[in-house]
Amino acid sequence: MSTPPVAVVGVGQTHHKSRRLDVSFGGLVREAVFRALDDAQMTLADIDAVVLGKAPDLFEGVMKPELYLSDALGAVGKPMFRVHTAGSVGGTTAIVAASHVQAGKHRTVLAVAFEKQSEGNAQFALGSGKGASLGAGGAFAPFIRAYIQRSGAPEHIGWKVAVKDRLNALKNPYAHLKIEDISIEKVKASPMMWEPTRFLESCPSSDGACAVVITDEAGGNAAAADGRPPAWILGSSSRSEPPSFPGRDPVRPMAALQCAADVYSAAGITDPRRQIDTAELYVPFSWLEPIWLEAFGLAEEGEGWKMVDDGTTELGGALPVNASGGVLSSNPIGASGLLRFAEAANQVRGAAGEHQVDGAKVAIGMAYGANNQYFSTWAVGSSLHPFD
Amino acid sequence: MTRFIESTITFPYKRSLGPVVGAFMTALTEKQILGIRSGDAVLVPPMEWDPSTGAELAHEFVEVGPAGTVESWTWVTTPSEQHPLDHPFAFALVRLDGATTPLLHAVDAGTPGGVSEGMRVAPRWRGTRAGRIDDIICFVPGEVPETEGEDTGGAAEPVTRMDYLASITYRNPVPEAADRATEASREHRLLGLRCPACGRVYAGGRGLCPVDAIELGPECEVDLPHKGTITNFAIVTPVQYPGQTETEPFVRAFVLLDDTDVIIPYSAVIELPADQIRVGQRVDAVWASPAEETEEGGGMGGSWGSLLGWIPNGEPDLDDPDLVNRIF
Amino acid sequence: MSAPSTDIAVIGWAQSQMVRHTDKSETQLLMSAITDAITPLGLQRADIDFTCLGSCDYITGQAFSFVSNLDAIGAWPPKRDSHVEMDGAWALYEAWLRLQEGDIEIAVVTGSGRSSTGDPALIYPMEMDPYFLAPLGADPLTFAALQARAVIASGIADERRMAEVAVRARGTGNVESLLAEEFIRQPLRRHDVPPITDGAAAMVLATGDRARQLVERPAYITGFDHRTECHNPSFRALDDSPSTRIAAEAAGLAAAPVEVAELQAAFTHEELLLRSVLGLGDDVTVNASGGALKENPIMASGLCRVGYAADHIFGGGNRALAHSTSGPCLQQNLVCILEGRS
Repeated sequence: MSTPPVAVVGVGQTHHKSRRLDVSFGGLVREAVFRALDDAQMTLADIDAVVLGKAPDLFEGVMKPELYLSDALGAVGKPMFRVHTAGSVGGTTAIVAASHVQAGKHRTVLAVAFEKQSEGNAQFALGSGKGASLGAGGAFAPFIRAYIQRSGAPEHIGWKVAVKDRLNALKNPYAHLKIEDISIEKVKASPMMWEPTRFLESCPSSDGACAVVITDEAGGNAAAADGRPPAWILGSSSRSEPPSFPGRDPVRPMAALQCAADVYSAAGITDPRRQIDTAELYVPFSWLEPIWLEAFGLAEEGEGWKMVDDGTTELGGALPVNASGGVLSSNPIGASGLLRFAEAANQVRGAAGEHQVDGAKVAIGMAYGANNQYFSTWAVGSSLHPFD
Repeated sequence: MTRFIESTITFPYKRSLGPVVGAFMTALTEKQILGIRSGDAVLVPPMEWDPSTGAELAHEFVEVGPAGTVESWTWVTTPSEQHPLDHPFAFALVRLDGATTPLLHAVDAGTPGGVSEGMRVAPRWRGTRAGRIDDIICFVPGEVPETEGEDTGGAAEPVTRMDYLASITYRNPVPEAADRATEASREHRLLGLRCPACGRVYAGGRGLCPVDAIELGPECEVDLPHKGTITNFAIVTPVQYPGQTETEPFVRAFVLLDDTDVIIPYSAVIELPADQIRVGQRVDAVWASPAEETEEGGGMGGSWGSLLGWIPNGEPDLDDPDLVNRIF
Repeated sequence: MSAPSTDIAVIGWAQSQMVRHTDKSETQLLMSAITDAITPLGLQRADIDFTCLGSCDYITGQAFSFVSNLDAIGAWPPKRDSHVEMDGAWALYEAWLRLQEGDIEIAVVTGSGRSSTGDPALIYPMEMDPYFLAPLGADPLTFAALQARAVIASGIADERRMAEVAVRARGTGNVESLLAEEFIRQPLRRHDVPPITDGAAAMVLATGDRARQLVERPAYITGFDHRTECHNPSFRALDDSPSTRIAAEAAGLAAAPVEVAELQAAFTHEELLLRSVLGLGDDVTVNASGGALKENPIMASGLCRVGYAADHIFGGGNRALAHSTSGPCLQQNLVCILEGRS
């Protein structure tokens, strides 16, 4: 790629909970921001621009919150930008922040995404206040049914993903859901929500924020020299397709395939399954893991569920997926995409703590939004040329 | 003639205040107004951070007022339903004694002539205070605070939450295509629109082709069959929220109309319990009697006008592995 | 770190009909605006490499409202695409940054909004501080009035000059009879405030070589910046607009004179304040289009300013400034400098 190298040098997030009653809006985002700045060994004064991402403002009843949060984010006198691409927004936030640096316009940019959805009601907001809302999972149940039929996957695959992600969350100090005694039986016994997805196969509704500090090549090198290796951004892409027309594929949306192709091409990834060490995929309902494994070329078509079944995607497996516990464990909707991107970055920085994938050099973070229409993905590496 | 639909989005938000706004609101219940120290300044209303730099402020609260000076004002001739008073009043920036920055609030001055820069005002407190900025109903001319109604005293516990009822009414046009689809349904016709560029057909009043990004007008209309096959479905276990209408698991089905590629998404099913729905099931359209008609439809809604939903017709199931993919 | 390329240009734009109250949906407005923007350039939707939309859920009255707007793009095959919950002028900024990466050539940005849908006096308080201002229903007219008072006190404006701005913007009325009208929010009168307008705009950007293939005189973006200020107007000096000043400096306004300036001044005093802060003398033609006082399609208003500024370049002009704003009392400001080349 001809664009100048860009690096992640700081990552921060809040303790995600169903209700962060202890903080105001500003308090919530600042918790993540100051953690990211501390991680980058920087202060607000080092930030040249702020990019804020968030899901619909109806969730909190605050319109255009970047206005209210300008001073909270230390953005006075600086550019402040607000993106909104539905569920993929957290990912888009990181990509747009990186774009600010890549363009040569700003040196160090803070990407922040949050949701304080306990102040409202997520199901209400998703249905814009009308009755008989499909709810978060209702739109995806048909896609999941299509996948199961096409692939012939056995019914326990969804439960296995749920158990895996919830066990991973126990190793993530920030994760919302910590279910110590999680098991297949427990998942199987939980109430049905959107057939076949059960309660314990579904994401929670969380309050939370994530912040990432992105800087230029010099900044990345300085962090490396200081013993704080950055995550180099190897490639990124955002692709969208319309919600509904005859010919759309519910299980392998072309926007996902193209988003992956864009990123792999930029990053020099020709064999994703072998060259990617770990992936943070946006899985709010368990069956989306095998679906995305396939759409993102980590598994052959129809084979994604086998990677779940044989333990490949577990933390100790050959290609751990969602070592952080993923969206299934924490879902502040606007922030969830950024969390995927941030966790991927942390993996290649060796900064993932107890859920670190040993020796991870290349990782991808992926988010999607709306009716499987908006896809944002990035690939990060511990070096700029990890395949040389 | 375009029809408009009015819809109101209402929600009772419940905010958490954090330590600084919480302290301010708690003090309001005690009829005290707090600012916070930021360097040499006293910020009112108090912020958790220095507004210029974003630096965290130590929780050094300073009591200000109760009286203050009007620094600037404007006159509200016709108050909105959200304003603090329901008769004409002044919105003013009031610098409370001891504060560096002014607070925006209402001044009940009676007439525009009754408010001026430099005049002194004091709070009119609400008798029963909840820990909200409108525990101060407004400011009144003079130095002496008032209390309206019986004073029920300060909050028993520190205030940490705040209610905010948001209610906005929108008027949106019903696209012509949606109305025509609804009209046609009164005659028990399922109307589709065929895109002249790609040949795809869209039903339910969707008046455009998203692939070619063109509008589809009446000249594109085609009549669609009333028979179809269930290709996929969602069985939703309802969650409670303000405005929820369901209490039992309900089905939303996808119906592929015979001899077409048209999918009617998110359709209601009639006399088909959730545990008996199958991919491949053959169904017929069900039309409403005049009393059952609805205005919903188009886009996400699978029912519009007189089309209520779909009912099993007893024909043998269609066995086609590709059916389940036909969702769009 | 190298500076951004100045070889990215606006090559065309179009707007829907701007009306008080449209019976078209936002998607319909956008669909025709995009078609009208690309067709004269000999382009089709398939030629667009990147799209960025600007719109606001709360104006439309529906969460995820921008998703339907995707239908206006023809995003099949899937498009590189993004969306900002801001005026299209900021969507332009995102696209400008994206084009800098050099791997794509043509972008389309849009701004759209049907602000006739709901009552601004009831919607806009929701963008204010949620604890101290929103619960009072503190509305944009109130904040504008307070800023007007400060601007008048500073001598940058007076009611007569504000009326003159209104007359010039709308091309009708006379100052004396306007000044005889009642205040609607002292010191603002009806002529000082913007109309409610439904509308959409779409703009085409291209990188240098492609731009020169497509049009004779591209409007090159030679400077582009935006800045924000602290939110609560109580904490600011309302007789100034420091973020405008900083953005203009960073965009390189001072490097050479501009002939034309399109300022997103929704209120008459804002035009006078912005003129003053930007140091625009009488030799600069301000808001020949009528500006936001004539037509104010929220979420597209700023993009239209860039469009009219670009028109000046297309027509042979050398240098133009476009400005956009967001938030109470000009909280956030964007400055875009466009230039032609001989």
